[in-house]
Amino acid sequence: MDFELKRLGFTLLGLLIVLNWGLLMGAAMRKIGARVGKRYGIPWFQPWINLVKNYAIRTSLSHGIMFYLGPVFRLSGGIGLFLFMPMIIGSQLWLNYSFQGDLVLIMYFQFFGMLGMALGAGEGGHPYSAIGISRGLSQFTTIELPLTLAIISIAIQYDTLSIIEIVQAQQGGFMNWTVFTNPVATIAAMLSLLGVLSHSPFNLVIAPNENPIGPPTEYHGSFLGVLQTNRAILHVVEAALFMNLFFGGATNWFEFFAKTFLIYFWSVFVGVVFPRFRIEQSVSWFLKVPLVIGVLAVILYM
Amino acid sequence: MSLFNIDTDRSKYPQPGEDGKLVVDLDSHKYVKLWQGPNHPGVTGNMALELTLAGDEIVQAKTHVGYLHRGFEKLIERRLFIQGMQTSIRMCVAEPDTNEYVYCQCVEELSGIEIPEMAKWIRTLVLEMSRLQSFLRVVPGQGGTTGLGIGVQWGMYMRELILDRFEELTGGRIYHMYFTPGGVRGLLPDGFKKRMEESLIEIDDFVKRIDDVMYSNAVFKKRTVDVAVLDPRWVDKYGIVGPVARSAGFKRDVRKDYPYLIYNQLDFEAIIMNHSDIYNRSRVRWYELQQSVDLIRQIMAKMPDKGDFKAPTPNVLHWEIPKGEAYVRAESSRGEYGLYMVTDGSDKPRRVNLRGPSYTQAVCLLEDMLVGANIADVHSIMVSLQTCPPEIER
Repeated sequence: MDFELKRLGFTLLGLLIVLNWGLLMGAAMRKIGARVGKRYGIPWFQPWINLVKNYAIRTSLSHGIMFYLGPVFRLSGGIGLFLFMPMIIGSQLWLNYSFQGDLVLIMYFQFFGMLGMALGAGEGGHPYSAIGISRGLSQFTTIELPLTLAIISIAIQYDTLSIIEIVQAQQGGFMNWTVFTNPVATIAAMLSLLGVLSHSPFNLVIAPNENPIGPPTEYHGSFLGVLQTNRAILHVVEAALFMNLFFGGATNWFEFFAKTFLIYFWSVFVGVVFPRFRIEQSVSWFLKVPLVIGVLAVILYM
Repeated sequence: MSLFNIDTDRSKYPQPGEDGKLVVDLDSHKYVKLWQGPNHPGVTGNMALELTLAGDEIVQAKTHVGYLHRGFEKLIERRLFIQGMQTSIRMCVAEPDTNEYVYCQCVEELSGIEIPEMAKWIRTLVLEMSRLQSFLRVVPGQGGTTGLGIGVQWGMYMRELILDRFEELTGGRIYHMYFTPGGVRGLLPDGFKKRMEESLIEIDDFVKRIDDVMYSNAVFKKRTVDVAVLDPRWVDKYGIVGPVARSAGFKRDVRKDYPYLIYNQLDFEAIIMNHSDIYNRSRVRWYELQQSVDLIRQIMAKMPDKGDFKAPTPNVLHWEIPKGEAYVRAESSRGEYGLYMVTDGSDKPRRVNLRGPSYTQAVCLLEDMLVGANIADVHSIMVSLQTCPPEIER
């Protein structure tokens, strides 16, 4: 079989694995949170039921084409991120469409979905959506700054913008992982990750009581299904990005599952025991703490 | 404007007009009118807030009630005295036993009934259990308003333990109907004190954990310290009572100022602080939660084991009470809770009027307090005032 065709098949299979792993991981995290709170929690298959239910619901509500396209853009951001992210190092077929300089594209795709969502939710015209968008974009801009600095730092360290080459440079033992060779950049990035994954204390954008639901205020039914699909994919791919950049990547699926689970767990662990910042407080915090650490990470490798 | 500080230029905010009221020109597109409620996770019940925002700061706030009006007072005025019981307890779902007490006490005062000593001990015990279950909801609930859900879940579990004790004592978990004109419906079941002590030990542990997770949490402090500070002048202006007044340094506690039942035989002091922001209002409730635990222990240690629990009353279906009026107050978890009853010699009350703390705190005080606050803090402020819309619309 032609290699390109084979790669397409493996990429689609990888997307299916990532989607289901994201749903299962989400259920596991909710279960852990429930147990900490002395509750039994949801059944492990609840996210699949939610997806099927939401995709089965149609709506007669319309705010125009851009409103429909908002969740599509959001999902495109998540899938785009997946397509250019190498999953398993050592197998040409699980590297997806990763290429030289893919790190720059990955950074772009992180913002892409949110911008599309802002346009779509904005067309809805609901004031809660507008508030959520302004909060989300303000916060995400400041989240990206330390993350970008951390990535610049490791790009200087490894002299490449290719994720595959960064992962390959970390092979040969866990002491070669970036977390040990460049701990300052890792700290800046892991603090940013708390914001990227939108858990407390940085989840005011989607907080129910401070401002109901934020941008997706009017998205329900199949729109919500698309957003939930994106969320499952995005969380795994974001964790995979951090795994590749800072924790040596994965050479098999078992290692992939274990590392992405632990990286995702970090944000859940913090989120369970912290309330959320207001937006100006989180913006201020990201500019004061992770940004300074990020600058330090760059200076150390200049 | 520096990088980390909020813009202090107020010129773009609405300015007072000739009549002293702010001039808000919505057509200027500088402001947004936003409704929070009546169906919204960020309000504490069936009421709505009409907010005018400049950016994310509130420049005007109006409270709207009327979504829950069931005419409790008028319903009571058209029923026999014994039938008024089941209506009165529904005037505040969160803490119905205080309603039971003030209603029964009004009927007893007007008909000249003195309840037995044992009934006084049991009533005091139930009232403190009621305050405790209310605090177990609202203390961690303050964290919940800022996204700290874990404390709420722990608190709900602890509250369930107290509801278990209510169930074995009264047969009901939320609405108890345990007080009755003349006393209470029965004595404590066998082994009740032991099981209550076991529940209190778990609550002692919860108190420590909530201190670690919530009150010592830097983010929680950031969200609540110096936010929505109560101007002490508002306390008398609006008749503020309970933990809200006590956190501002006003030593007002009905249990101390106008002792009722057997509170004068218990050892406790009103808890006060001197700076009423969200954090301190919640902190006062946290201390009062511990005080309730201590008072329950004192009551169980001091109360007699046996005795009459109900004074004789006339046939409740033909009970006519002489002409008169009475005002009975009690300290609920939200503060002074009073019922005014007028009788005209018939078998129904002539007039009933309830004075709950939420009436002023959730309407007048909230409107003043919200001005200048961040839109994200609205829910937190409402919970810090412990507003209960059913008792506004009675």
